[in-house]
Amino acid sequence: MSLSIILQLLVNGLVAGAIYSLVSSGFSLIYSVNKFVHFAHGAVIAFSAYVLYYLFSTLGISFWFAVVLSLIFSALLGYATNELIYKQLRKRKSSPVILLVSGLGFLIFLESLILIFFGADVKVINLIKVTKGLEFMGAIITPLQIVIILVSIALLIFLFIFMKKFKLGKAMRAVSDNKEVAEIVGISSEKIYSWSFIIGSAIAGIAAVLIGLEQNLEPTMGTNLMIKGMTASIIGGIGSVPGAILGSFLLGILENFGIWFLPSGYKDAIVFTLLFIFLLFRPQGLLGIKRRAEK
Amino acid sequence: MEAYFIHLIILIGIYLILAMSLQLSIGYTGLMNFGHIAFYSIGAYVSALFTLNDIPFVVAFISAGIIAGLFGLLLSIPTNKLKGDYLALATIAFTFVVYVVSLNWVSLTRGPLGLPGIPKPSILGLSFSSNIMFLILVAIVAIVVYFFIRRIIDSPFGKVLEATRDNELATRVLGKNTFKIKSVSLVISAFLAGIAGSLYAHYITYIDPSSFSMMQIAPILCMVIIGGLASLKGTIIATIILVLLPEPLRFIGFSSSIVGPMRQIIYALILLVILLYKPKGFFGKVELE
Repeated sequence: MSLSIILQLLVNGLVAGAIYSLVSSGFSLIYSVNKFVHFAHGAVIAFSAYVLYYLFSTLGISFWFAVVLSLIFSALLGYATNELIYKQLRKRKSSPVILLVSGLGFLIFLESLILIFFGADVKVINLIKVTKGLEFMGAIITPLQIVIILVSIALLIFLFIFMKKFKLGKAMRAVSDNKEVAEIVGISSEKIYSWSFIIGSAIAGIAAVLIGLEQNLEPTMGTNLMIKGMTASIIGGIGSVPGAILGSFLLGILENFGIWFLPSGYKDAIVFTLLFIFLLFRPQGLLGIKRRAEK
Repeated sequence: MEAYFIHLIILIGIYLILAMSLQLSIGYTGLMNFGHIAFYSIGAYVSALFTLNDIPFVVAFISAGIIAGLFGLLLSIPTNKLKGDYLALATIAFTFVVYVVSLNWVSLTRGPLGLPGIPKPSILGLSFSSNIMFLILVAIVAIVVYFFIRRIIDSPFGKVLEATRDNELATRVLGKNTFKIKSVSLVISAFLAGIAGSLYAHYITYIDPSSFSMMQIAPILCMVIIGGLASLKGTIIATIILVLLPEPLRFIGFSSSIVGPMRQIIYALILLVILLYKPKGFFGKVELE
């Protein structure tokens, strides 16, 4: 176990953690305001990544313009999901489980659409030529991976300031805390729900761009990302955005160090063992306060 | 054409066992068990591996159920206190673990290559290798499963299950050990999914991890929800309709790579429409909570 291997695993863990945090922060933001599991979040990421692929690699639109378009697309997709499905269900006072199942249904719908439009084979957004990684004390990291880590940290800082200082962020926290009281002081909860979907899904769009560049695109990538992001959120404390980001990095680092003990294919199994441990002993997660799991 | 109908009826039979057993845990016990595919997968792999190692079908078939049931017990221990969406997440994660292990434990499952050449069942010298014989086997198992579940839900134990679903605290106050009750329900449900997996493996004679991905829960969940919670009749009708519904797609002339996703889209849309406009399903007695 040389130092360079430890360092390399740490770097890989940080990169994985940054990717998960891109998924989990948007998911967690939506959860904290709406109080249900938006299961289609992963599919929003996958679909936006395919949109980017289509605009950039197939149509040949310039990269930054394609990025802007796919961010708008993801925000709109999230908004539409809320308007067409979740809002209608809320009107009927459906339980969180119904909302989760409908999200699952929508995820299957979007993934199947991807399969029909793009086929099952792996797609690559070939923006960056294969570059030699930078060496740092024996550990190798590519420039894109550095960007991913920086963006995820910037996002964390932005979300923190947004929730504390911005009027909209404060309103979100108010609705998250107590919907009735928030409405008494004149905050429209439906409006805040819509905004949480727009912002959460725009973050999903950012995730789609970076993940699309770092990894290959597969139709089922949404489910995989969703499960990781969700696990990270539960570990960190579901409904807490800083918790979700903390959980993401913890998850990324743990699964990469797990390769020491198990073949790399079992990475995912480590993740779920961790999830079970948390559900069993600390269902509120690291930073969660309420024991909502048992309610 | 006749062979095609026999094939469809066999599929309906296997789905009936899966859907009815899922109905037992979701509809009658109120457990948001989304891990049903995992038990189905475990049953299929156990049965396939046993018979490929020259163990008789009957033993493999029962072991498939028992081992799936044991995993049900294993899953119920950490998740017993969880409810609603948390339980759903934990069981979805469980499906994922089983999928990942079946994909990576290459020395046992041959990973993505799958297990080919699973023998057709034969019981005491009676071979079920023709489809018509297999149909009889599936029909018998499905009918036995139906009466078994019917018997459970009509028994005092079944009433306790429903009481646990409606108000767990009150049931506990009445002196019932609801944790044990929920475990038993999940174990039975897992056992039945396991034997359904065994039937599937011996019918198709080839299994690989992709047959048991998380997406496969969609049709079964649809059957349970569309038929209505806590209604076996609803489940049976919904299963028959949902298996047959996407079949015309094949005749319109879509390529087979499109038919699969189209089926999933149909299931997803029906699920969404039902949840939006008829959340109790067609024969349901309670709503999803």
